[in-house]
Amino acid sequence: MFQKPSPSISLNNNEDKLHQAQDEVETVVGPSVSVEGDFSSEGNIVVKGTVSGSVKTSKRLTVEKGAKIFANVRAGEAVISGEVRGDVKISDKLELTSTARVAGDIDCKVLAVEPGALIYGKVLMKGIEPEKKEKLGGFGRLKVKGEEENVAVLQ
Amino acid sequence: MYVYLYDNFLKNKKFDSTLRAIETRLTDFSIAGKIVRLQNFTNSKAVIEDEIKKGASTIVIVGNDATFGQVLSSAATCGITFGFLPVGGDNTIAEVLGIPIGEEACNVLSRRRKVKLDVGWFNNRYFVSQLHIPPSDIAVEYDEKFKVSSQSKKMELVICNLQPYIWKGDKEDVVVHPQDGKLEAFLRPVVKRGIFGRQKYEDPSIFPFEEMIVFSRTPFVVEADGKESKETKIKIHLAKKKIEMVVGKERKF
Repeated sequence: MFQKPSPSISLNNNEDKLHQAQDEVETVVGPSVSVEGDFSSEGNIVVKGTVSGSVKTSKRLTVEKGAKIFANVRAGEAVISGEVRGDVKISDKLELTSTARVAGDIDCKVLAVEPGALIYGKVLMKGIEPEKKEKLGGFGRLKVKGEEENVAVLQ
Repeated sequence: MYVYLYDNFLKNKKFDSTLRAIETRLTDFSIAGKIVRLQNFTNSKAVIEDEIKKGASTIVIVGNDATFGQVLSSAATCGITFGFLPVGGDNTIAEVLGIPIGEEACNVLSRRRKVKLDVGWFNNRYFVSQLHIPPSDIAVEYDEKFKVSSQSKKMELVICNLQPYIWKGDKEDVVVHPQDGKLEAFLRPVVKRGIFGRQKYEDPSIFPFEEMIVFSRTPFVVEADGKESKETKIKIHLAKKKIEMVVGKERKF
């Protein structure tokens, strides 16, 4: 009644998964293609060309080497190997490879930076809070303690 | 009552045995019905409307991708259940619908697993399988949000609804099966001309969308389900759940 586990069965399962992965259509911007405007997608986005405006996806964004994005970027996770000029807001993991160039603020949960990647901007990460603001009294002026330390400015 | 629309190419003797096997299997399932043979200039919509008046409940297309596109592009609005029995070569849509080629397709038809399919709509015309614009100087605007253009100016555009998109990759052919619920646009800019004047294309850019506008200063050719026309601006969008179709369990959506 029940089939014995065999290598052929496990291989078949793997093949099915592979087939499903190939079938999943993602948005791809080719090397000589340029996109202008609010570029958003519900699935994964792969950028090999140029995008100006804004880029938004709830899933994975891949910016390949040689690609240029002149826009604010929002994504679930991202791997950047090209150039981004704009703020990058990632809800999960951001990976910057050695060829990445980011000119803008970065906001993410997990950050992985390969040696050689260039960043010009603030890096804000969830999980660490700035120290509480203390009121000095008087005319409602606030003194902020330790705020500078929690914000990494990389150049 | 079932009505079977046979494509003209099935007159060829090499399909005799397949058709005989199909007809026997249909009789076994008690779903045999009237056979209408389509000619090159037959108006499928008029034939189907006529058969509906006579009491047809299911129209079954017998042929290949071309037959499927030709019949459904004109008869999508008829409001009747469609079935498909793929015979011979050029049958890529059948795989997407989960229908095996030849007499095995009769089993799928007899089970009557019905699904409502989306169809593409452009300039007052439906297209079911694919829309193709050969390399032209075009620009594209998606969902009124972003505009796509190419540095090389000339681009080929293929929009897939049910027919899979196949292109020659670096090492092997790549096949993308379209999903239901959206149309997929494949844009291939012309990079350069190769030996003997053959055009070389870049790997395609892929954009799933619900509405798009293609425009150009000069008229460009549009081929949809085998019909060709020249346009300067087309608006393409998805007409959801337009066709009721008998599909197989192994369908790709």
